[in-house]
Amino acid sequence: MLDFTILTNNWDMYVEGFKNTLLTSLLALIGSFLFGTLLAVFRIAPIKSLNWIGTIYVEFFRNIPLLIIAFTLYAGFPTLGIELDGFQAGTIALIIYTSAFISEAVRAGILSVHKGQTEAARSSGLTYIETMRYVVLPQAIKIVIPPLGNQFINLVKNSSILSVIAAGELMYQADLISARTYVVFDVYIIVALFYLVITLPLSYGVNYLEKRLAKSN
Amino acid sequence: MIEFKHANKYFGDFQVLKDINLTINKGEVVVIIGPSGSGKSTLLRCINRLETISEGSLTVNGIEVNNKNTDVNKLRREIGMVFQHFYLYPHKTVLDNITLAPIKALGKSKEEAQKIAHAYLKKVGIPDKANSFPSQISGGQQQRVAIARGLAMHPEVMLFDEPTSALDPEMIGEVLDVMKSLAKEGMTMVVVTHEMGFAREVADRIIFIDKGQILEDADPAEFYKAPKEERAKLFLSRILNH
Ligand SMILES: Nc1ncnc2c1ncn2[C@@H]1O[C@H](COP(=O)(O)OP(=O)(O)O)[C@@H](O)[C@H]1O
Ligand SMILES: [Mg+2]
Repeated sequence: MLDFTILTNNWDMYVEGFKNTLLTSLLALIGSFLFGTLLAVFRIAPIKSLNWIGTIYVEFFRNIPLLIIAFTLYAGFPTLGIELDGFQAGTIALIIYTSAFISEAVRAGILSVHKGQTEAARSSGLTYIETMRYVVLPQAIKIVIPPLGNQFINLVKNSSILSVIAAGELMYQADLISARTYVVFDVYIIVALFYLVITLPLSYGVNYLEKRLAKSN
Repeated sequence: MIEFKHANKYFGDFQVLKDINLTINKGEVVVIIGPSGSGKSTLLRCINRLETISEGSLTVNGIEVNNKNTDVNKLRREIGMVFQHFYLYPHKTVLDNITLAPIKALGKSKEEAQKIAHAYLKKVGIPDKANSFPSQISGGQQQRVAIARGLAMHPEVMLFDEPTSALDPEMIGEVLDVMKSLAKEGMTMVVVTHEMGFAREVADRIIFIDKGQILEDADPAEFYKAPKEERAKLFLSRILNH
């Protein structure tokens, strides 16, 4: 049976970790959603150089480990005179990494909007950007929400990697507690439960939205 | 007002438009007919640069459509377009469908744009549908909203690409009626359609196009009575026996 005194004795640290995990995930979600959408627009814009920038970005960051991005920001940037603490570096790393995936989801959503929509908007004199903003993206978002939810779940789980740069999130706290108490199994099972508190409701929420959107179509 | 001179258009190796010479004057109603795949839509879409011609010249109001210095967005404000499948914005109400471009492209205030939108909705006969979503109204009503959406920009010319082909037969009349009244008010119109009643009643000219070539440019009454071209005869007999 789990030793729940581990939890009660280290309650403050777990809660601190939980808050940080939640905060970094939320910030990274918002950041990577905005940035990922911009990248998606880059990739399908009728301008070759933007397509290239978008493609190179996505293929590069999607195919390297998050840990490398986090390390580079945390250890590498101070040599450039930019000091980032673990939480800041970690959150930015998550944004950089997750944007690449989100941009793919958003791109698929944009491509699923009938091209007649773009043609109608463009032929009425709207610019490319206005067409995206007022006509295409609001329709694409419906299709993007379920994969976006899954990305958020991944993001919460991926944030555990930030423990290695002392980001102060759940996994980091668990490492500290384990080092202090010499307990391994119970400490990490309990931290897993904390992750589930975030990811399970999200997972159900995504399923629910998926069903509702499927019905409305 | 619209002038094609020796215009050619290719999709890769395939030549869709062949040496198009066509002048459409202000206030004219021109109907374009021809078999499926003959290049009618492409011809129409070149006018507002949804497609670009490959060779020759094309001017609208004296402006070179394909010139690099031409502000395509400004050009398009003067050219309304109505599509076969309406392409209303499904996430916006009828009113917002109509006001979007006047607000964003013409910089009109919301109030002003709405006033104009209501006026055109009345004109196309559905003043009570302003707050409906496209999915809540019939196909005929959707197409009339699409026409109102085009008119709200106060364009110089309206292009119609088979505006009634996707409609149930009982809804065709209501859309044609709106188009006829527009024509009678002096709107310059280029209409791809096989609706002969419409062509007979309001068209100034019929253009028959086949395999990317204009084969006839004729007065509607004469055209329907006795097309000069063999291919036009064949085509007419086909749509008449439909
Ligand atoms: N974007 C495109 N790429 C390649 N071929 C096209 C494209 N659009 C149209 N075509 C071809 O050009 C020809 C003329 O098409 P279109 O102008 O749509 O004819 P219509 O409207 O008279 O039916 C057809 O053979 C069609 O397959
Ligand atoms: Mg066509």
